[in-house]
Amino acid sequence: MTESLLNVSHAMLKLSDIRKIYRLGPVELEVLKGVNLTVEQGEMLSVVGTSGCGKSTLMNIMGFLDTPSSGYLYFEGKDASHLTDRQVSTIRNQKIGFVFQQFNLLSRLSVLENVCLPLLYRGVNEQQRIRIARDMLARVDMSNLKDNKPTELSGGEQQRVAIARALSGSPSLILADEPTGALDTRVGQDIMNLFLDLNRNQGNTIIIITHDPNIARQCNRAIRMRDGILYED
Amino acid sequence: MKLKAIFIEAFRSLWCSRQRSVLALVGIIIGIGSVITIVSVGTIVQEEVLKQYKEMGTDILTITGRGSKTGLRLSDSLSLSGHCPDVRTAAPYTSQHGTLKFEGKRMEIPALGITESFKNINKLTLTEGRFISDLDVFMYYCVIGEEVLRKLQKLGVTDFVGAKVTYKDRIFTIVGVVAGVSENKMRPGEINRGILIPVTTAMRISNTHEIEKVIAKLTPGGNEQAAISQIKRYYKTVAKDLAVQVQTAKELIRQMQKQMRMFTLLLGVIGSISLIVGGVGVMNVMLVSVSERKKEIGIRRALGAQQRDIQGQFLAESVILCFVGGIIGIMIGLGASYIVARFSDWGFLISNLAVLLGVTVSFVAGVFFGYYPARQAARLNPIEALRAE
Repeated sequence: MTESLLNVSHAMLKLSDIRKIYRLGPVELEVLKGVNLTVEQGEMLSVVGTSGCGKSTLMNIMGFLDTPSSGYLYFEGKDASHLTDRQVSTIRNQKIGFVFQQFNLLSRLSVLENVCLPLLYRGVNEQQRIRIARDMLARVDMSNLKDNKPTELSGGEQQRVAIARALSGSPSLILADEPTGALDTRVGQDIMNLFLDLNRNQGNTIIIITHDPNIARQCNRAIRMRDGILYED
Repeated sequence: MKLKAIFIEAFRSLWCSRQRSVLALVGIIIGIGSVITIVSVGTIVQEEVLKQYKEMGTDILTITGRGSKTGLRLSDSLSLSGHCPDVRTAAPYTSQHGTLKFEGKRMEIPALGITESFKNINKLTLTEGRFISDLDVFMYYCVIGEEVLRKLQKLGVTDFVGAKVTYKDRIFTIVGVVAGVSENKMRPGEINRGILIPVTTAMRISNTHEIEKVIAKLTPGGNEQAAISQIKRYYKTVAKDLAVQVQTAKELIRQMQKQMRMFTLLLGVIGSISLIVGGVGVMNVMLVSVSERKKEIGIRRALGAQQRDIQGQFLAESVILCFVGGIIGIMIGLGASYIVARFSDWGFLISNLAVLLGVTVSFVAGVFFGYYPARQAARLNPIEALRAE
C-alpha cells in the first residue's frame, strides 16, 4: 500500500522487484529474479533473450495472464499486483492487445469475427463491433479478406489480422510475443514495419518479445534478459 | 446482446462438431422422449378411465352383501330407495353362466338377472326392441348384448326381436338388443358379453333366493356419505347378521387415480434413468469439447473473456444441446403416445404437463450436466490453456 502511494507515477507500466517462482514438487525454480522495469507511454520496447531465460513469463505477467510470486506491478499509475479475475480480464480486454507467435486466431470464425472478439467481451453492440473491426482491418490492409477463414490466409496475413484484433480494443499497450517468429524474414519485416508505423503514427505503446537481434535493433529501446534478470542495453 | 452472441457462437461450435453433437442429442432425445411418452400415455389412460366413469355418472354406488347365510334378498333390495332418502333408484341383479343354443350351435355366455331400473342406472340404450320390464316377472324374455348379437349375425340371423334361443334348456324370446357400453368396475361387463333376463326368471333358473349385487343411483344432489349410512342402517334392520359393503364411483375413481399416479411415477423413474444416461452423455461430450478447445479458451481469456464468459459459453452449448434434444424428444414422445392411443382406441390428447415437464427437464438437464464441464473450462489457467495445442 505504502509502495503504491510512494510511486505515484504515470508510467504505462512499472514492474518493481518482480519475482516468479515455480514449484515443481520439491524443486523450486526461480524464473524471474527481481525484475524492475518502467515502460512509458508511446515507447517501443524489445525484450531479447534466449529461450528459457524467462521472457515469456515476463510477458505473461505484463499481460496479466500470470501473477508474480512477489513484487509489485503498476499499470497506468495504479497498483495492479492483486486483482480479481474480473479485474484482470477487464485490463486484458481494454488495456492490452496481444499478438502471438502462432497468431492464435480462432479458425472457426471469419477474419472479421476474430477482430470483433475483444469488443464482444467488452459488451459493444454488434453494429459497432463490425464497424470498428472493419476500420482495424483497413488499418492493417486486410479489408479484402475479411470474410475468409484464417486457415485460408498466409502466415503474414494471419499476423496482420491478429494485429488488427489486438488494435480493435484500442489498448494502451500492445504485447507481442515473437510476432515474426513463424514468418520468413521478408514477411517478418513487413509486420515489423506495421508495428513501427503504429508506434510512430498512432502512438501505440508496444513491447516486443523476441530472440531476433535484427528485430530488437529497430525498436527505440531494447532490453536484454538473461537468467531471470533484465539488463538495459 | 452479449447473450445473443454467446448463443450464436454456441450453435456454431455445436455445428462444427456435428457428429459428436448428434450422438449427444440421441441420448437426450431417448431420455426426454421416454419420460414424455410415459407421462403422456399415463395422462391419456387416466383420462380414458375417467371418461368411462363420467359417461355413466359419478353418483353411482354398488352394494354387496358379505358374511351372511342369507345374503342380499331381492325384496329388501327392491324397497331400498323407499327407505333411504338419498337413494333414488336401486337395481338388484344376479349373474350366472350357461349354454345358449341356437339352431344346434352352442355358446357359453353369462346371463344377468335384472330389473327395469337397471337400464337407466347403467345408461343403456336399445338398438332394437324393448328392454326387460318389471311386468316380465318369471317370463322367459331376454335382451341380448353386443357380442351375442354378433355371434347370432354370423349364424345368419337378421330379425332378432322375436327370435327364440335356448338358454340353460329354457326357451327365451328375444325382446330387444342393447347397444355396446364401455366397461368399468361399476358396470358389469356381462351387458356386452351375455343376455339380460328378468331377475325373477334368473333366480328361478339358478334356484337361489339371493341376489349378487345392487347398483344404486343417488338422488340429485344427494349426499354420498349419508346414502352409505342409510343403506347400511337399512340392511341392518332387514337382515341382522348381514354386513353390506358399499362402494361409490367416486371412491373407485380416487383409488384408480392413486394407482395410476403410482404407476406413472414408477415408469417416470425408469424413464428418468435413461434421461440421466443421456445427460451423462452430454456431460462427456462437453468435457471432451473443453479439453479439445483449451487453446481457444486460452485465446479468449487473453482477449479479455472473464471466467463467467467462458462458463456461459459452454453452458450455452449444453443447454442448447439438451433443449434441442428435449424438443425432439417431446415430439417423439407425443408421437409415440399418439400411436399407443391410436392402437388402443383411446382418445389422444396432448398433455400440457408432459410438454411443460419436457421443456423444464431438458433445460435443467442442460444446466445440470453442463455446469461441471463449463466450470472446468472457466477455471483453466489462461497460460496453460494458451500453450495447449
